[in-house]
Amino acid sequence: MSGEIFATLKVLIIGESGVGKSSILLRYTDDDFDHDQNLTIGVDFKTKVVDIDDGKVKLAIWDTAGQERFRTLTPSFYRDAQGAILVYDTSNKNTLVKLESWLNELEIYNTKPNMVKMVVGNKIDKPEREVSRDDGIRFARKHRTLFLETSAKTSEGVKQAFEELVRKIIETEGLCEPSTLYNRGLDLNNEDDGHQSTCSC
Amino acid sequence: MGENSLPGEFDLLVQGTGFTESIVAAAASRIGKTVLHIDSNEYYGGQWASFNLEGFQKHLSESPNFQATQNWNTDESETSEWTKENILKTSRRFSIDLTPKLLFSRGKLVKLLISSNICRYAEFRAADNVCTFEESTSSLKSVPCSRTDVFNSKDLTIIEKRLLMKLLNSFLNYKDEEVPEEFKNYLGKPFLEFLKFQRLTPKIINNVMNSISMCDEDALLEEGIEKTKNFLLNLGFYGNTPFLFPMYGCGEIPQCFCRLCAVFGGVYCLKKPISKIEEKDDEISFTTDNQVIKAKKLVFGSSNIPEELLSSEKKTDHCCGGLSRGVFILEKPLGSEELNSGGGGVNFLKLPGGNGGAFILQLSHYSGTCPKGLHLVHITSKSSSTPSDDLQPFVEKLFTDEHKPLYTAYFTLPSCSSKVSTTENIVECCGTFFELDYDKSIENAEMVFKKLYPDEEFLPRAPDPEEIIIENEDPTAISEHTLPEDLKAQLLLEESSKEV
Repeated sequence: MSGEIFATLKVLIIGESGVGKSSILLRYTDDDFDHDQNLTIGVDFKTKVVDIDDGKVKLAIWDTAGQERFRTLTPSFYRDAQGAILVYDTSNKNTLVKLESWLNELEIYNTKPNMVKMVVGNKIDKPEREVSRDDGIRFARKHRTLFLETSAKTSEGVKQAFEELVRKIIETEGLCEPSTLYNRGLDLNNEDDGHQSTCSC
Repeated sequence: MGENSLPGEFDLLVQGTGFTESIVAAAASRIGKTVLHIDSNEYYGGQWASFNLEGFQKHLSESPNFQATQNWNTDESETSEWTKENILKTSRRFSIDLTPKLLFSRGKLVKLLISSNICRYAEFRAADNVCTFEESTSSLKSVPCSRTDVFNSKDLTIIEKRLLMKLLNSFLNYKDEEVPEEFKNYLGKPFLEFLKFQRLTPKIINNVMNSISMCDEDALLEEGIEKTKNFLLNLGFYGNTPFLFPMYGCGEIPQCFCRLCAVFGGVYCLKKPISKIEEKDDEISFTTDNQVIKAKKLVFGSSNIPEELLSSEKKTDHCCGGLSRGVFILEKPLGSEELNSGGGGVNFLKLPGGNGGAFILQLSHYSGTCPKGLHLVHITSKSSSTPSDDLQPFVEKLFTDEHKPLYTAYFTLPSCSSKVSTTENIVECCGTFFELDYDKSIENAEMVFKKLYPDEEFLPRAPDPEEIIIENEDPTAISEHTLPEDLKAQLLLEESSKEV
């Protein structure tokens, strides 16, 4: 497959502990599901190249590394993210209620005012539902976010969630171009970044 | 386990999320220790934190030991764009460092960030100019660093260019084994004396002394050689200077290490004071939020020493902290238009003076630490009196009528208490040092780590996201990725690795 990667997008997955954030991430990037995963260790961020129309987009999807548990995500985690997936558990109503404070957290720390948000109800494979699809839609509508239901276990909806989010980010004006306010910073891992002049143009 | 309760036992408790403590926490987590990293503040970074403007003002007014003073001097007429109100409206665009730093391109921190693979969490900007203060015009001038810059410089005559290049080359080629004739007579003597004897112009001497080697007046030739060489060897990696500045401020750096610690299972709590620390039979217990937790070892930052660990007599002999700091917001940046072409960037100046002089950093919005149209100036010196008295000589020099700061703040980063009782299992991390880069703090972190875990590797390379293999994955995939043994174990791969 050819086609240039025309943008790298930073997407966050946030929400209460145990709603399946890492599972959604791993289902999407590795098409894998681990039944016993109860602690996020070693999952940092994952990258995936996505085909969109005629081009490719590189997604860097950031997991919380467990720092959501005591609300101690670092401001740098939120920095420059173009999209956020806010996950709740459809079998646990409280996790949807708590998304209010996660939206608030995004409001405080995100540096891109037109960031695209998507509310995702996960674990729809579970028979015991506490949140109906309509409740989810109502919540998303109230906060003007995208909405989808998923099951990381059966993989239902997972791919669609990311694709819809990416499409929306690309459609949003000014969001996926490199920041015009700041020059792009240097990435020390990227050898191409060395030996360059730094004209401030 | 309730929603808000912590596990009852950890290998290591780290109190304080300053730079040094965060490195120790990351290093311990990285070798598989269970780490609880806790801070009584509601923000990361301790003395190394960055704040937005409102947060910064609040922090100064709530820190009595900072000896802080703040002063607004804005033009409040209707025609003025930057009134106090308008500046405060952009508060969130600011990221004001308590401890601003510059990183040598191949210095200890950059090497550590690369070798441990932590640099993916941060972005940097190459410093735009290393400056010198020209007394005759009372202005900032860019010091040519590279060969091309020297030859393109308009501030030096052709003869000066030749002299400077020759001098810098002689430093670069200097070897201890075969000391060249011209150096021999000056070993053990002041660097300045050596420079004066080389028949250089005052301008070149000033450039080499204050901007390139950044030596004090009484520094010996050996120190001058080492520092000049170091400066030159850090050139040519990024941009035109040997320095990098972390985008959005230096407060990002401790957070990078915290993220790594968390990725390897470290548990994070902010705004949680701890109390009732007791050490008994090689085990430490403490209380937080009415929960008693045990840890095998405890590390704490010197800016926030638990009361139980204060002792009446002097035990340690360190000298961290004790910095006088000035923060200034300017509309018109220091230096010529040429120096700030395209809106400025990261400009650095070392001013000589008693007690080690001062480091001065001027940041534009390209550094991600202030809004477009304003400039942030940081001054740092050692503290001997009040911060405003300490910095007065530098402030008078720099801020002429043309460059009156709209906002001025002075504060002290207090020196740490030497009255601390530590044990084999309770170790203290030092606070900030008066140094441009982080070398001493990294040495300190490594020393603390080695004290706790003498036989373990300090921050080996962390795997890239692509290298991380999750349990039950096709075992043949593992051989394609060359993960170190310790990592495989840590990533719960025991099961699948048996099949390899």
